[in-house]
Amino acid sequence: MKHRSSNRRNFLRIGIAAGATALIAGGGNVLSALSVAESKETGEKMKLLTPEGKLVEVDKGHVCCQPAGNLEARQGLPDKKMVMVIDLAKCRNARKCLQGCQKMHFLPPHMEWIKFYLLRDSEEMSPYWFPKPCLHCNNPPCVKVCPVGATFKRTDGIVLIDNDRCIGCKFCMAACPYSSRVFNWEEPKMDKGVNKAAYSPETSSPPKIGTVSKCDFCPDMVRKGELPSCVTSCPNGVYYYGDKNEDAVTNGTDTVRFSELIESRAAYRYMEELGTEPSVYYLPAVDRAFNYEVGFEGLSDEEIALYKTEAKIKE
Amino acid sequence: MYEDEKTQQNLHAFKPQLEKMSNKGVALIVFLLLVIGFGMYALYTQIVDGHIVTGMRDNVVWGLYIVNFIFFIGISYAGALISGILHLLRVPWRTPIIRMAEMITVISTMIGPSYILLCIGRLDRLPNLVLFGRIQSPIIWDVIAITTYLSGSIIFLYLAMIRDLAILRDNPVKTARWRNPIYRFMAVRYKETTKQKELLNVATDLLSIVIIPLAILVHSVLAWIFGMTLRPGWHSTIFAPYFVIAAVYSGTGVLIMVMWVFRKIYHLESQITKIHFNYLGIIMIILGAMYGYFTFSEYLTSWYGSIKWDMDVLYRLFNPGEYWHLFVFAVFIGVLLPIIIVTVPKFRNINSIAFAACVAVLALWVKRYLIIIPTLETPLLPIHDLRPEYVHYSATWVEWALTFAGIALFILLFYLFSKFIPIIPVVRTGEEKDYSRLRKIVFEKQMKKVIRQHKKSDAVIAGIVLLFILVSVPRAMSQDENRVQPMLKLEYFHVDSSQILTATLQAKVEGRFISLPGMEIVFKFICNGTETLLGKEITNGKGRATVAIPEETLATGGDKGLYSFEASFAGNDRYDAASVTATMKPLRLELSFFQKEGEKMVNLKALEPGPGNQWIPAENLDVVFYVPRTFSLLKVGQASIVNGQTSLEFPTSIPGNHLGYLTLTAKVEENEIYGNVEVSGTINWGKPLPPVNTIKRGLGDTNAPLWMVYTLIVLLSLVWFHYMYVIFTVLRIRHLGKS
Ligand code: SF4
Ligand code: SF4
Repeated sequence: MKHRSSNRRNFLRIGIAAGATALIAGGGNVLSALSVAESKETGEKMKLLTPEGKLVEVDKGHVCCQPAGNLEARQGLPDKKMVMVIDLAKCRNARKCLQGCQKMHFLPPHMEWIKFYLLRDSEEMSPYWFPKPCLHCNNPPCVKVCPVGATFKRTDGIVLIDNDRCIGCKFCMAACPYSSRVFNWEEPKMDKGVNKAAYSPETSSPPKIGTVSKCDFCPDMVRKGELPSCVTSCPNGVYYYGDKNEDAVTNGTDTVRFSELIESRAAYRYMEELGTEPSVYYLPAVDRAFNYEVGFEGLSDEEIALYKTEAKIKE
Repeated sequence: MYEDEKTQQNLHAFKPQLEKMSNKGVALIVFLLLVIGFGMYALYTQIVDGHIVTGMRDNVVWGLYIVNFIFFIGISYAGALISGILHLLRVPWRTPIIRMAEMITVISTMIGPSYILLCIGRLDRLPNLVLFGRIQSPIIWDVIAITTYLSGSIIFLYLAMIRDLAILRDNPVKTARWRNPIYRFMAVRYKETTKQKELLNVATDLLSIVIIPLAILVHSVLAWIFGMTLRPGWHSTIFAPYFVIAAVYSGTGVLIMVMWVFRKIYHLESQITKIHFNYLGIIMIILGAMYGYFTFSEYLTSWYGSIKWDMDVLYRLFNPGEYWHLFVFAVFIGVLLPIIIVTVPKFRNINSIAFAACVAVLALWVKRYLIIIPTLETPLLPIHDLRPEYVHYSATWVEWALTFAGIALFILLFYLFSKFIPIIPVVRTGEEKDYSRLRKIVFEKQMKKVIRQHKKSDAVIAGIVLLFILVSVPRAMSQDENRVQPMLKLEYFHVDSSQILTATLQAKVEGRFISLPGMEIVFKFICNGTETLLGKEITNGKGRATVAIPEETLATGGDKGLYSFEASFAGNDRYDAASVTATMKPLRLELSFFQKEGEKMVNLKALEPGPGNQWIPAENLDVVFYVPRTFSLLKVGQASIVNGQTSLEFPTSIPGNHLGYLTLTAKVEENEIYGNVEVSGTINWGKPLPPVNTIKRGLGDTNAPLWMVYTLIVLLSLVWFHYMYVIFTVLRIRHLGKS
């Protein structure tokens, strides 16, 4: 296996994995240092940029493909600050993002980490679809109240849950103003294989009874330089994801500068007045690609009725 | 010792209670044990099956358990505040009721927190509270406050028992004699010497001073669990005092109920008189009025401000289809009825006051329900889970069973305790006479409180009845038996110095393109009619297979500087064979950085093979410049190659690493002649990243803010210093008793 991947994603700017920077700091000794980490060779190479601006090539297995342990997962990917931009003008409530998310995290059908709302701020205004993952608040009420630090804010802006530490007091659920959290009320029904897999807060899998789960912003994917499933599953390119420190977000097809996008489209953060400082930005639903009614496709009558009542839509 | 007539009389009256157990008593115990046993069964179910057996769901995450928790901690106020204050003020009539009050405190402070445990999903992980406790969390405040409070109440109760224990030591019980050594041990050689008496009084006074602010703190902390969240109906600044007042109100109510019950079963008519009921009744309605006032203030403020979310909760409370009836009971009846019963002389008698207390206590339980449930049922964002149990909370049998088990345990412990030590202090110290004048100052105030409730005009919102119908549509999955012709795409990449071929295998199935993984692709290099095998690779999950082109292969040269490659797929039982060829011309890209008139520029040279093994400038070529980012390439510019080169301003506004190092990639993409060619270069001209913040101390961080740490240490050491001092005093009493 001598080939090396040309995959542009593997071309990473700087120490993508926790510790990679430290390892690289060891100078030319990178590979020998890496082998100490007892990780598997995958044969696939990726490039890393040292802080001094030198490019080194390391085996992907050394830096990205091991699920992060509970302590490692608390650190956050160095020098990153993950953000998401959701373009409401393009959302038609297709819910493909949720399907992708549920598939990727092996979630049972009712466990929804992304929720969909039909919002209408007042009766004169027109309704718009509003998908909502965990907003990964920078001043997260959920993290403040956790008695054991089982939910925590990382340096890269991601709010994670350590399901091995969570005592299930549900205080974080009461504290989250955005209803982002769900509880494992019973033994999660999983494939045997999933249940046996090594747990990592970064994959949020396998879930554990009596503890809390939520959207995790897919740090395991970020480690691999890959996009979260919601971003890649959305047929309309609604989700942009990226690193604010790199000033770039991508929806899989387009890569744009984060600062320019939120400036030109007048992005806002949901319920900013709560002081939660979310990491998720919304682009207002102007010049919409779809009529909101398209979003009722595939919903049950009860659901449609509920959405209509909430958005105060009269027949 | 204690030869006075009153004490002897008391001893005579109470001894039989300790020694005999009536049949009714046994029956009561058996009944209570059954109720508790059923509760244990419910608990077992909950532990085995998980919290799914409760009515709690993702929105209403806390239910009856938390209601009971607040309720029990609330009634524990009886001892702490009532007996503490009555003791400090030396209120003369307090003696017969003070022990009951303290027992209520201790027992309910033990039962209350167990409800919090029931609410916790992972009981096995309780040690985490100690291992990883974060003092920024109100739950940790609660854990600390309640344990401290419970310890204090136990010591307080014990101090008040020492005299009775001493008299029981001197007059041993005749049944269940195992109790006698316990009495002896616990009586700490107390002989009512002047010195011992003084020490005991000091210790009791000290503790009653400590226990009052502590009790207030405990209930404030409890209120803050709710107040600290951003939830309508909870996020209120008056929550702490509101909870404190509601707690004392209910505590007094329970004390009156307990007095009434024991007065009946132990025939204490001569001890607990109408005076006690009247005075406590008055205290109760003063508290009731204050509770009404707080309630009024709370709801008036949020109604007047009419923030959307506050209104959502208010509508629920005022909606006859939802909580209006409970609200009327908890707020109007629960306040007004006791006030009417106690203030109107005609209605005022022992039974009616006990009834009023009963109403007040029940109303307050309901009020706690109304604080917890409607708020949780009204999240800031609407609920879209159609399963009815996710929309509306209704407690299941498990929760009710455990609720009643808690009440049964309360009664049981109380009853057993009254068999261990007289429910009314036997020893009379006679001090009550000295302080009778205080009674005038404290309790003979007249107060009238008119509570006007604002009228709520039709606050009716039609309740939405949700039905959840599960219709599973079995979808016939028809297998397409036809063979499919796959599509094979071959791309040539020249990245820096290495060259790669990538083949992508896809097929159109049911109108959609799918990638074919796990297929073998054969790569060949074709030169002057001869084929060289480059390798066989298996496609990955994206249907892609990649092979590197060895330098030597290319060195063999091509026809007119052109190289041909072939990728082929042999086909299998479902897909036909496919093959594709691509012809490329090598292209050399060279990236360099330079500064011109202070401007930072990038220069790109493009060369292709010319006659005589020369590299000559390439023409008619579009290049795109990118900056690699975590997930993808960010386009920063594009240019056409003129005369073999082009230049571009370096994008200095794009962030690099901490030292500003930024990589720039120039690409020729999907060019018909050259394929994909790219080259990268790195230079420290990007925007440097700001340095990372060092350890922070905040509410959301691992480390707590320092003021919080100091406050906690100061408060805890203050309280525990007093406890230690009191324990030390008890030891001294014991020591003094030796001589
Ligand atoms: S959205 Fe909720 S769960 Fe997510 S970080 Fe914010 S408060 Fe926490
Ligand atoms: S439920 Fe788990 S994560 Fe949430 S506050 Fe409690 S311990 Fe922390």
